Parts: sequence; structure tokens; C-alpha cells
Amino acid sequence: MRLPLHWPSIRGRARADAGPLMLVALVVSAVVLLAGATPPLVRSTSDDATREAVRNASDDAAVRVEADWPDDYGPTGGRMRAPKLAEDVAALGSLAEGDLDPGLRSALLPPVSTVSSISLMVTDGSVQRRLQLEYLLTTKGTPAVTWVAGREPQAATDDEFLEVPLNGRPWPVQVGLSEPEAAALGVGPGDRIPVQDERRNPYDVRVSGVFRPVDAGDPAWRLAPWVLNPAANRDGFGSTRFGGLLSPESLPDARLAFRSDQLRRAVRFDADPETLTWQSAQALAAEVATLKAGSAVSAARDTSLKWATQLDSVLRDLRDQIATATAQASVLLIGVLAVALLVVALAAELLTRRRAAALTTARQRGASLPALAAELVVESLAVTVPAALLGLGLTVLLVGSAALTWAVPFVLVALCAGPVFGTLAAARATRDRRTPANRSARRWARRTEVIRRFALDAAVVALALAALVALNQRGVEADLPAAAPALCAVAVALMLARLLPPGTRLVLRLALRSRSPLALFGAARAAATASRVLPVLALTTAIALGSFATTLYATTQQGLAEGAWQTTGADVRLNVSSEAASSTPEVAKKIAAAPGVRHAVAAQVTENARFIGDDTTVTARLIVVDTAAFRALLADTPLPGLPPIPSGSGDLVPALVRTGDGSLTPGMAFRLPRPAYKAINMTAAGAAPALGAGDDVVVVDAAAATAAGMVFEPNTVWATGPGAAQAARSSGAQVTARTDLLAERREAPLSSGLLRLSLVAAAILLVLGLLGFALAATASAPQRWETLARLRTLGLRRRDTRRVAVGELLPAAVLAALCGPALGALLGWLTLGPLALRRLTGQAVDPATVTPWWTIEAVTVVALAVTVVTVVAAESAVRRRRRLSEILRVGGQ
Amino acid sequence: MTGALLSVQGVHRTFGTGPSAVHALNDVSFEVEPGTMVALVGRSGSGKTTLLNVIGGLDRPDAGTVVVDGLDVTGLDEDGLSRLRRERVSYVFQTFGLIPVLSAAENVGVPLRLAKSDPAEREKRVALLLDLVGLADHAQQRPGELSGGQQQRVAIARALAASPRLLIADEPTGQLDAETGLAVMALLRGVVESEGVTAVVATHDPVMMALADRVIRIADGEVTC
Ligand SMILES: Nc1ncnc2c1ncn2[C@@H]1O[C@H](COP(=O)(O)OP(=O)(O)OP(=O)(O)O)[C@@H](O)[C@H]1O
Ligand SMILES: [Mg+2]
Repeated sequence: MRLPLHWPSIRGRARADAGPLMLVALVVSAVVLLAGATPPLVRSTSDDATREAVRNASDDAAVRVEADWPDDYGPTGGRMRAPKLAEDVAALGSLAEGDLDPGLRSALLPPVSTVSSISLMVTDGSVQRRLQLEYLLTTKGTPAVTWVAGREPQAATDDEFLEVPLNGRPWPVQVGLSEPEAAALGVGPGDRIPVQDERRNPYDVRVSGVFRPVDAGDPAWRLAPWVLNPAANRDGFGSTRFGGLLSPESLPDARLAFRSDQLRRAVRFDADPETLTWQSAQALAAEVATLKAGSAVSAARDTSLKWATQLDSVLRDLRDQIATATAQASVLLIGVLAVALLVVALAAELLTRRRAAALTTARQRGASLPALAAELVVESLAVTVPAALLGLGLTVLLVGSAALTWAVPFVLVALCAGPVFGTLAAARATRDRRTPANRSARRWARRTEVIRRFALDAAVVALALAALVALNQRGVEADLPAAAPALCAVAVALMLARLLPPGTRLVLRLALRSRSPLALFGAARAAATASRVLPVLALTTAIALGSFATTLYATTQQGLAEGAWQTTGADVRLNVSSEAASSTPEVAKKIAAAPGVRHAVAAQVTENARFIGDDTTVTARLIVVDTAAFRALLADTPLPGLPPIPSGSGDLVPALVRTGDGSLTPGMAFRLPRPAYKAINMTAAGAAPALGAGDDVVVVDAAAATAAGMVFEPNTVWATGPGAAQAARSSGAQVTARTDLLAERREAPLSSGLLRLSLVAAAILLVLGLLGFALAATASAPQRWETLARLRTLGLRRRDTRRVAVGELLPAAVLAALCGPALGALLGWLTLGPLALRRLTGQAVDPATVTPWWTIEAVTVVALAVTVVTVVAAESAVRRRRRLSEILRVGGQ
Repeated sequence: MTGALLSVQGVHRTFGTGPSAVHALNDVSFEVEPGTMVALVGRSGSGKTTLLNVIGGLDRPDAGTVVVDGLDVTGLDEDGLSRLRRERVSYVFQTFGLIPVLSAAENVGVPLRLAKSDPAEREKRVALLLDLVGLADHAQQRPGELSGGQQQRVAIARALAASPRLLIADEPTGQLDAETGLAVMALLRGVVESEGVTAVVATHDPVMMALADRVIRIADGEVTC
């Protein structure tokens, strides 16, 4: 069957309604752009996050392969010198590469092979100088150097088959030194560096020459930077590590100079952050995990490859973060799509109203419904398809690729909305079903209408509840749970829309009692239009989901700030290595005396200390600290305060305790076992606040602990005040500054991407809501202005008509402004839990939901007020030049 | 100044320009004495509605003057016209034009609210008028629950609420069947007597012409009485 399309009427209709059609096209383009761009953006953000995580994890993310040395026992029980040892080391790198899947190999940088000795003590009288011997080999050979004095390390012997006795004198080994190190050590070519190990065994290390690296940026140096420059604090606080460079010739001598377990050979593959993607990183982690598992099986001492990496655990944390971020992006996107669909439906409704007369006439002239529908589909195709293509084109232009998962269903629904509304209207207009005259038939009709409406409402509510339950049970990774906020918003908005007619009737009753005729007319018009569900639904849903997005934004921001406080514990935290623990109180005092520092407290923090209770063991963070000073410091932060510790009974050390599972409760006695010492007996004297990222904490006063025989060796300094970070940095210890940490976390790809998306979604939702509101107002405008014209024939002044018009539009706006933000906050409260924001904010528990009420209310109220006034002013201006007679003649158009 | 309540002098009204211009009113002049009921008759498109609009100040003539109750309508500004409609001129339309969510009584009270009259007096007057149009029993029904004839009677009661001097009705029975139309016409005739208003009623209805005190005929925009 060929449908007779009447092209002139298609064109005519499109021309008459160019405005609304353009608007539909605009919404379709914008939503396709957003829906098409978000998934690729999430993907590329995940890739960025992967790269950043891998870059930050540097050593943890590297893949290391180690292999023990083969035995080198000679025929007479001594050790054989292996002149070709450098070739063996090179072969190890190729062997390891061969084990890797070629696909994954490309995600890794070329391997660097190393041979490293233990670090030896330099016994030249200076304090804490260490020397470590290094052999470095990249795929391009050993790193290039120029010898500025002396020459490259040579072999100690040219005997090819040499066996040295096991307990002979130290075997001589030649090394090269960089210029700064030679100067610092005060040695030159030919000199012997006086070194010994922890057991005071001497070693014969000689300087063959002094070198200058050709390229200090050569990746090989990164594995042993102490070869180029002395490195501080590597072997304990206050230590300085030097590096002696071995050559292929002197490497066999190093092998003989050290015991097998004092010299380690390894191959290191750094993950290549530039080529790494989230996908390839996951595959890499899986592959490496398999290799790791395989190498763990083999016996303790053999020469097989042993794979080691923390990449999989680095990626495990990241996977959680990416899952959270992806879920949040879907939640926001689905919200925008839902509101966009409502707006498209409103546009279709507006078009249908404007065309009601023309469609009815067409029907009466004999056009069949299928033909009319086909004409409307043609029009819809002509509007939607180019708009969608434009949106896709823009997406590809802006982000490089476009995802169709969400865009295509949206476009399909948008495509159908106009024809469906139009055809239904045409069918209804010509079905000739008048309201039945008979009273019981009328009641029956009304009842079926109520039942139908109730069924629809019940279905929507049931779907929303199902989504909510699924979200709380299964988490957010499926589609239905991700739609939970949008569905809940629609369901509640639908309920509110159903409440609007009785509400406006109530207002009307009040207005009837008032003396202001304007209030009465406004209320009367509002009551007449209140039964339209779609406008209220669209506006309230949009404001609610916009508030939800804003809540998500504010909660994340607040969570990040709190997370930074929790991780740092103050404005700044110093971690002092155990070797330098004795100097910690000094450091704390110095920091406390620095300008701009309010508090500085030294504490001994032991992560994962094991306590033994009645019949449980508890692993908790033990904080031994001057509790009075600590209390004052905490009071200077937004962190929870420290309650006073009641004095203990007898020799029990009183402690404040906090355990996630409640295994230590105030009143309980427990003890801290210590290897080789008597256990410290404690009593849980009170409840500790949550301190640090974990949930389990035990706080003990330093004086009480010392009195009980504990050695107080503080390893942490917390300080507050604007100058704290500055003061801490000059101490040389590892510093964590809260503001830096916060900035770093905020700017991390996932958090910043998500924060941006929340704001963009909130803005788009607001705009869509206002657009829907304006469309709905336009649809009801003809009726409104006809009524106003009639009222003017009764003496209503022209300028008062605008106020009445505002009064008509107000109820939906007021409802949305009042209930939208509250609904948004409720959605946040209901659905942010399963979104697990803590993974992004670095907190131990999910942040409490933060709704910026005043901002949301102010923006909503101002935006709605401006829209209402603008819509009314525009409607009134359009009709301003027309005489009352004309408005009445044509019915207000 | 004559004793006429309505005086139309040399009124022209042309729609459009050039060759397609329509001379809807062409030098129309007549006067109506107070308390009379005038039937304005003519074929469709003859200019009846245009003339009524000009008289009531809903439209302005291109030339000529309209004086209602001593007030030059053509010289009034927007506010003056609003006051005129509130105090002296009221309309009854073919399509009733009631507010659907208000009851019959509340609809009748609308002009009194606009005039800010006292609520107690308003209610008394509304009751009186509903009684007058025979709808005292239907005061609380909404327009949707009334028949067409009843709705038009509510509209007439509303038109009379603010005690206007001139009542303008454009085919008030156009949407009613003959019998109901007749009843509405008789009602109009009755209220002109009882309320002492002057009425100009455009109609095609010969019965109306019989009921009227005077008939003004209009053809192609010219009065031919
Ligand atoms: N706004 C307008 N623009 C152009 N022409 C108009 C306009 N209003 C009225 N006319 C023309 O003026 C003439 C008079 O119209 P009017 O409505 O007064 O007739 P009428 O006598 O009331 O007809 P009917 O009995 O059908 O209501 C008609 O030819 C009409 O086409
Ligand atoms: Mg007419």
C-alpha cells in the first residue's frame, strides 16, 4: 500500500511551526552531543586516571623479574669467576621479555636490567655514608658516559678460568664514580673506598675513574639515581647513599666480591603511561598476576624467573574508582535523558495543539489516519535525523568518537513523539465520542479514567521502587539501578503533579474569599490548567535531578575536603623514618616554633598494631601521643575531638579505643604483646574518635605508656597553622600537606571529570526544565489570552492581564521550586550510598550528603521567576498590537 | 447633547489596504434612546460584529465618533475603555465566555469583584440576578454542568451585574436551538424592561426583531434603516 503523502500540507505545517520544530531539533542535537560524548569522555578519563595512577605508583606499578644466580662453585670448592657474566645479565632481560604476551609487551617500556649490591657503610669517619654498587643495562647497552679522569672499570684479572677460595681476602672490584660523588667522597682514580658491611666485613672497592653521564635523563639512571648524585635518607634518616658504577668488565669481580645473596640481579619493566589505557592496564595486570602465580610455585632457590609487581593492586583501587565514576556518569546522563524526553514530549504536545484544527480538517476532508501519521513521520524524520547527525558530528569533532548506546534510543523516542501525539489527537478529534449524556455512563467513564491513571502511576512507582531496591542490593553497575534517581524523580514528580489540581482548587477557594479579583482570575486559570501532568512532571523532575546533580557535586567536594583532613590528620603531617626517630621531638619543637604554626605534636603511630582482647585479636592503628597537646591540635581542626582519658587502674595503661566491629569497647581490658618484651596491659577507658583512613584506632598517652615500660619513639609529627606546611618542608622528612593533597585529589582525572560533569548536568537540567516550562506555557497561551481578553471585556485593565497570566503560571513553578530541591536532596540521601563516593574522596566511610540548599533555591527561584516574567512579557508583547476585537474573533491566537 | 444614550456619527472602518481592502463600516450614523432594545440585523459579513465592537470600544473606527452615555468612546485611552466596560457597557457573546472553574454565581459576581463592590452586597445582587434569569436553583453549578441556554442566561446575568447603561449582544442565541433561543431573547427583553438598560442585539432571528423596539438594518457596511 502506498500512502498518499500530501507534500504541500507537510511543508505548510512545517513552515507554520518552524519555531517549535527548530527547538526540538536543538534539544535533540544537544542531547545527542551529551549522550554521545559522555561515554568516550568517561573512557578517556579512565585512561588518564590509569596513566596517572601508574605514574604515581611508579615503583609499585613496575613489573620486576628477579632470578637468583646460578651456583658458581668451582672444582676445588672455591668460586669460579665468570668473565661473560654481563652477557648472562643481558640474556635474562630477553628471557623475561619472551615470557610476556607481545600485546602486553607494547604497554611496557623497554626493560632495564640491574645488578645491585647491598649498601655498604663507608668507613671514612663521616656519619652514615653508604655505597651501593650498580650495574645498569638497557636494551641499548650500558648508559653512555665520558670519563673525565681515569678510565672505565677493568677486570681484576685476565685469567679466563680463575677460581677463588671461599674465605680468602676480599676480591677487588673496580667502579666508576660520578663527578659530584668523587668530590664528596674525596677520592680519585686508583683510590680505594673504605667500606664494610653490617658485620664489619671489609670490601675491596677501587675507583677506576670519574665519569660524566652523556644523558642524565637516560631511563637507566632512574633505577639508581644515587649513582649520579648522593641520595639522602635512602638508608635511614640522615643517611647519604653513593653509587659505584660497574662495567661489563668489572661485573664478574663484583660477583666474586659479594656473597650470592648480597648481589641481586633483576629486570625491570616500567609500564608505559603514554600508551597505557584502562583496557590494556587490566589485561596487563591479569597477565602479570598469572606470571606471579606461576613463579610463586617454584622452589625457593633456583634460577628461574620470579615475577613481582604491585600493578594489580594499584589497578584494583583504580577499578573501584572507575566503576564509581562510570556509575555516577550514567546516573547523571540518564537523568538528563529522562528530562530531555519529557521536554520533547512537551514540544510534541505543543505542536499537536497548534495543529489540532488543521488535523481535524484534514481528517474531515478524508485523509486516513495512517496517511496523516506518515506525513507527521516524514516531518519528524526531516527534523530529528539531521539534528541527531549534527549532534553526532559535533561529538566526533569535539571528542574524537561518539557512543550510540544512549543516543540512538533517545533519537528513536524523540522521532516517534510528534507523530504519536499528532495521530492520537487526530484520531480523538474524529472519533466523535462526546461525553455521554446519561449520568451513570458519565460516572462510569470517569471511573475508568481514574483506574487507568492509577494503573499508570502505580506502574511508574513500582518501576522506581524496583530500581531503588536493585540499586541498594546490587550496586550501581547495571542499567536499572543507574536509572533509579531518574525514575524516583519521575515517580515523585508524577505524584506531585497529581496533587496539583486539588492544590490549585484549594487556592481557588481561598482566592474566592480574597478581595483581589486578580488573585481570583489567576487561581481560576491555574485551576483550569492544573490537570496537565506533563508540564509539572518535566519541570519538577528537571529541578529535582538538577538539585541531585548539585548535591552530588557538593557532597564530593565536601568529601574530598574531609578526606584530605582525615588522610593528613592536620594541616601537615611528617613521616619520619625509624632511623631518625630520636630526632622527632626536636623536629616537632622546631616546627612549633616556626611562624604561622599553631600546634605541632609528635606521635608514635603504628599501623596495624595487634592487640589481644578477651578472646579476640584486634588490628588497629596505635597512636602514642601527648594527649593534652593532641587534643588541643585536634580542636584546631574539623576532625573529631579527643575526649579526656580517665586515669587507669593499677598498672593498666588507659586507652581510648574505636573498632569498626565493636570488638574493643570501653571498660574492656586488653594487651599489646611485644616481641622479646613483656606485653603492655591496657584498659579501654573511653571511645576514640575516627582518626586516619581506617576505622580501628587505639590512642594512648605517651607519659602513661612510658611509665608502663614502652619506649616512646615518635615517627609522626602533625602540625596546624598557615605556616605549618612551610615549616615542615624544611625538616627534610616526608611531608604530606593537606592543601596539596586536596588539590591533587581534586585535579585527579576522575574526580575533576566527575565534578565537571555534575555541574554541566545540573546546568543542562535547569535549562531543559525551563525550556519545558516555556513550551508548556506556550501551549496554554491561546486559551489563557482568550480568557484574559474576555475578562478585559468585563473591565480588567490591560496591565493587570499580565499579573493574572503570572498567577496562572505560578503554581507549577512554585511547586517545582519548593519540591524540586527537596526531592533532589532526598534522591541524594537515597542513592548516594550505593554510589560509594568514598572511593573518590579518599575517606574511610561515605561522606554525609551535602545539599547546598540556599544556592539551589536561589538559582531555582531566580531562574523560574525570570522565565515566568519573560514568558508572560513575550506573550503579552505578541498580543499587544492586536485589538481586543481581533483576539476575541480568532480565539486568542 | 441629545437625549440619546448611544450616538454613532459617520463611523468608517476599513480592514486592509489597497485593492483587497474591506470597507466593513461605511459612514454609519444612528442614535438610540435610553431604555430601548435595538435589533441589529443584516446578512453574514455585513458588518454587525464590527459595528458592535466599535460601539463597545473593542475596536476603533477609522473615522467618526461613538458617544455612549455622554462619553466619547473613540477618544478614550486604554484605562478609560477599561472603566467604560466596568461601569457602563457590557457584552454578551455567542460563545458565552464563562470561566469554567467558577460556579454560576461566582461567574455572575466577577464584574462586581472588578468594581470592588462590597462582598455582602455582591452576594445579594448575584442572588437577585440569578433569580431574574431563573437560575436560582443552579447557582453552585459550573458552566460545564449547565445547558447552553442556561450558560447564556448566566452570561446575561453577569452582563447585568455591574448595572451597565448599555448592553451589547452579538448573536446571543447563535449557538442555541430555536426554543432555547426564544427563551433567552424573552429574558433579554424582560431585563431591558426591569433593569432599565439599553440593548443593541445583533441577530439573524426574526423573533428577536419582533421583540425589539426598533430594528437597524445593515448591508455592506451601510445602515439602511
Ligand atoms: N480583522 C479583520 N481583517 C479583515 N477583514 C475583516 C476583519 N474583521 C472583519 N473583517 C471583514 O469585515 C466584514 C464584516 O465582518 P463582520 O464580522 O462585522 O460581519 P458580521 O455581520 O458580524 O457577520 P456574521 O453575521 O457572519 O457574524 C467581513 O467582510 C469580514 O470579512
Ligand atoms: Mg458577526
